[in-house]
Amino acid sequence: MASKPEALTLPPTNEAWQPARPSVWRSLGRDPLALGSLVVIAGLVLVALLAEWVAPYDPTAIDMAGRVINGQRVFPPYAPDAAHWFGTDQLGRDILSRVIFGVRTSLFIGLVVRGGVMLVGVTLGLVAGYWPGVVRGGILRFTEIMLSFPPLLIAMVVTAVLQPSLSTVTMALIVVGWPDVVRLVYGQVLVAREMMYVEAARSLGASEGRILARHIVPNILETIVVAFSMGIPGAVMYEAGLSFFGFGLQPPTPSLGSIISDGRGYMLAAPWYTVFPGLTLALLVLAFNLLGEGLLRRNRRHQA
Amino acid sequence: MLPQYILRRLFAFPFILVGLSTVIFVMVYLLPGDPARLMAGQGATAEVVESIRDELGLDDPLPMQYARYLWHFAQGDFGRSFQSHRLVAEDIGTVYPKTLQLALAAEALAVAAGVLLGLLATVVRQRWANAALLGISVASLSLPLFWLALSLQIFLSLQLGWLPPSGYRQGLDKYILLPAITLALPTAGYLARITHASLAQLRDADFMRTAYAKGATESRAVLRHLLPNALIPIISVAGTDLSRLLAGILIVENIFAWPGIGKYAYDALVHRDMPALQGAVLVFGGSVLLVNLVVDVLYTVANPQIRYGQ
Repeated sequence: MASKPEALTLPPTNEAWQPARPSVWRSLGRDPLALGSLVVIAGLVLVALLAEWVAPYDPTAIDMAGRVINGQRVFPPYAPDAAHWFGTDQLGRDILSRVIFGVRTSLFIGLVVRGGVMLVGVTLGLVAGYWPGVVRGGILRFTEIMLSFPPLLIAMVVTAVLQPSLSTVTMALIVVGWPDVVRLVYGQVLVAREMMYVEAARSLGASEGRILARHIVPNILETIVVAFSMGIPGAVMYEAGLSFFGFGLQPPTPSLGSIISDGRGYMLAAPWYTVFPGLTLALLVLAFNLLGEGLLRRNRRHQA
Repeated sequence: MLPQYILRRLFAFPFILVGLSTVIFVMVYLLPGDPARLMAGQGATAEVVESIRDELGLDDPLPMQYARYLWHFAQGDFGRSFQSHRLVAEDIGTVYPKTLQLALAAEALAVAAGVLLGLLATVVRQRWANAALLGISVASLSLPLFWLALSLQIFLSLQLGWLPPSGYRQGLDKYILLPAITLALPTAGYLARITHASLAQLRDADFMRTAYAKGATESRAVLRHLLPNALIPIISVAGTDLSRLLAGILIVENIFAWPGIGKYAYDALVHRDMPALQGAVLVFGGSVLLVNLVVDVLYTVANPQIRYGQ
């Protein structure tokens, strides 16, 4: 095996030899499910960014004047029609517009929360994986404690302490989200540390800091990226859950969770009130889940 | 003989509980609202509030309050609920079994449905079955739990009238079905995939070929040889997933008015019932820690090859 003559042929130039590993874009192109989810996510992001222009109405505009249908005066909630595709709520507000602004809230929270979670989790995970003794023990025990709490309840307590708003909801979700990442990164660091390339670097005299920054972090980077993407749906769901229970964003800011919560009393009389925001939320979460699955599949294929 | 890893975990358990209660103490301490005033209720005179304040020792320095709190916790004394005016430990004693009942029912449903689906997809051995399984499981994990709960409530109970919409009744009653189904669905989807993955991995193993060579029928080979061998990873995933299932308890109990610990904790938070909240979170967190510990122990006992922390 080792004495095959081809193994000795080196690339003629000093261009580094590249393993046959397609770019993320190319491997996603071969994975229709992941590609489809990427398109859906891109569409939702676009809609969220352009919410002011895309939304047909002001999401907080109330219209209680009532309409005359067949000689009878009718009051909202109105069923979906050409003017209001998703219908209106009991205050006559356009559900489609509220959903569009709700998507903006959800995506914003999902990205910012997950970013914060990764920052805290990766840092603590690296530290725990690298500094044995009291530091590692302390971090791991604290992580275990935080993991044992009911996350939604703790997020509620945090927003109750700080008064619910966009920034406190973000903070609360970071507080309950980071422990998972610590576990993941810690495990990865333990594996990476035992690798030959780390030993090689160390025997060449590399400092521990250099090994961490130049060898370990780049090698677990892919796992971190996948974890970032796969954690977004969770953050989105928890925000919706918080808002559903009234501990999230406060009215009139639309959030997918709070719209569903508002529509709870109208589920039989006005099903569109909860069905459309619910489906949108599910679509958003589904797209991120499928994209994460695709990235995971790609990683697994290339690790083998 | 238990491995050293497990002994160390057992030894650390009480210390982790102390850590847990410390975090809870800090969180509840930071909650806005004056416990004495809340306990006295609205319209209480300043003297009454002051006497409660004295009684609870709320004017003592924080370290002293903390020490007293830990001392009481160690004795299983969580204080008295502001709302029910009963001992929190008694309250939890009545709500906790109901949560346990719901969680176990949901877990049983999830395992039954998940293993069955995974088995089906493995036996069918078709691409579409694979794709369908993946679709079902990812979709069931993508549905927001509270939306799923509301939709099932509307559909199965208000429209079809099959199940009662919410509430609790003593003993095994159909009231448990709706919350248990809601709670079980995401876990079932996840388990179906794990089952399928571990079955597919062993489907072409040597022992299967031997079984067929000895003349076993397909169903006998799958049920008697394949399933038992694939069961360990399934059980361990089901066990670890119990803590995720417990996280959903809060949502489900509140939507279906199931008087368990999730509803108790939520009501306590809404009404700023600090002792009740502290007790509920501690019992909840303690149960999750205990479940994790037991799963780890079982896992090590089942696979002696596993060595943690080496």
